[in-house]
Amino acid sequence: MKIIKKMGMLIVTALYLTSQASAHHSVQGIYQEESIEITGTVIEWVFVNPHPFLTVEVVDESGDTHEWDVSFGGPAVVAMTRRGFSKDTFNPGDVITVTGRPTINEILYGVLGTLGNVPVDQDGNPVVMPAGGRP
Amino acid sequence: MINHFNTSKPLVVTFTTMCITLLSTFTYGASEEIPDLSGFWGVGRCPDGSFTSCNTLSQDDQRLTNRARAYQAAIDEYAQPKYDCAPMAIPHLYTDPYNYRIEQLEDRVNFYYAKDDVVRTVWLKDHPEPRVSDFFIQGHSHGRYEDEALIITTDKFTFDPQGLNADFQIASSTQKQVTERFERDGDDLMFKVTTIDTFFLLEPWSYEVRSTPAIDLGGEWSCSPRSSRHSLRFVPPKYNEDPSPERLEYLQN
Repeated sequence: MKIIKKMGMLIVTALYLTSQASAHHSVQGIYQEESIEITGTVIEWVFVNPHPFLTVEVVDESGDTHEWDVSFGGPAVVAMTRRGFSKDTFNPGDVITVTGRPTINEILYGVLGTLGNVPVDQDGNPVVMPAGGRP
Repeated sequence: MINHFNTSKPLVVTFTTMCITLLSTFTYGASEEIPDLSGFWGVGRCPDGSFTSCNTLSQDDQRLTNRARAYQAAIDEYAQPKYDCAPMAIPHLYTDPYNYRIEQLEDRVNFYYAKDDVVRTVWLKDHPEPRVSDFFIQGHSHGRYEDEALIITTDKFTFDPQGLNADFQIASSTQKQVTERFERDGDDLMFKVTTIDTFFLLEPWSYEVRSTPAIDLGGEWSCSPRSSRHSLRFVPPKYNEDPSPERLEYLQN
């Protein structure tokens, strides 16, 4: 299980994310601009309003285990349902890889994912069909 | 002497009645044709297709009073009502991408919003006015039909720290008044919203958006307090020396 840093900003994704996340929750000053990948085991998937979130247990390069919080910004249940998510999308024990922007404060272990770049399972398949077009 | 008045009395009455009827038509002025607004509608979109570009106040909006800026600077995001699942109020309620439903009845029009499970009643006919001391998150609304449109005026809003914009801590006062105009444009629904708040806005703030028909509301909102407060996990409190802002189950015992 490892964390991979990807250089460069996903401009389109970031803009999409901003438009979604600005739905009453500004992310300015919370998340970095660069995205990273985290791979780990699902602990919990909370698929409720106003903002579903995921908890993933990740072992870092030092062998230490941390629980990462994965949120998707503004989208609520109905928006995520349209994208194919459901309460059964993630189950405890699933191994997934998430791409997103990490929190600026690295000890908080948070990642802001996007609906345009959905997590993938251990076979590399998107857990749901990636979103296309505008929200 | 012949009393001409007596013999022409029926004519006078008839003529007078006609005059009164005609005058009534002009007095009540514009047509009260009722537009068909009922049904499910998608989020109102701006001319560029977005749902926020034309209908939100910016963080440093030039229309904000100094008083609004002072409140904005002081408000701690942790204290915002939305994190306890308190609903957005109009007009900010319209800036989230969720459907709504309009139900037209004889004496009222009901609005059902997918966002925050909000239900608003717009009174068309005589309805007891709220007491002076009654205030409401969504205000108290009166409506009328005019020129094939529904005109709604709403006041009696509670003070709301997220009342004008929940993203940028722009509050609204008990002086807030919102006027809405709903009318059909073919299959679509156009609505214009004008907000005044003499405490926090230097001038009236208006926008117009277009809704297209929707199939349904998209499901219940059913806000989870846990999910709501979870959003604050990475937001640093503004007042670090104050006690933890975590919710206490104070009344449980």
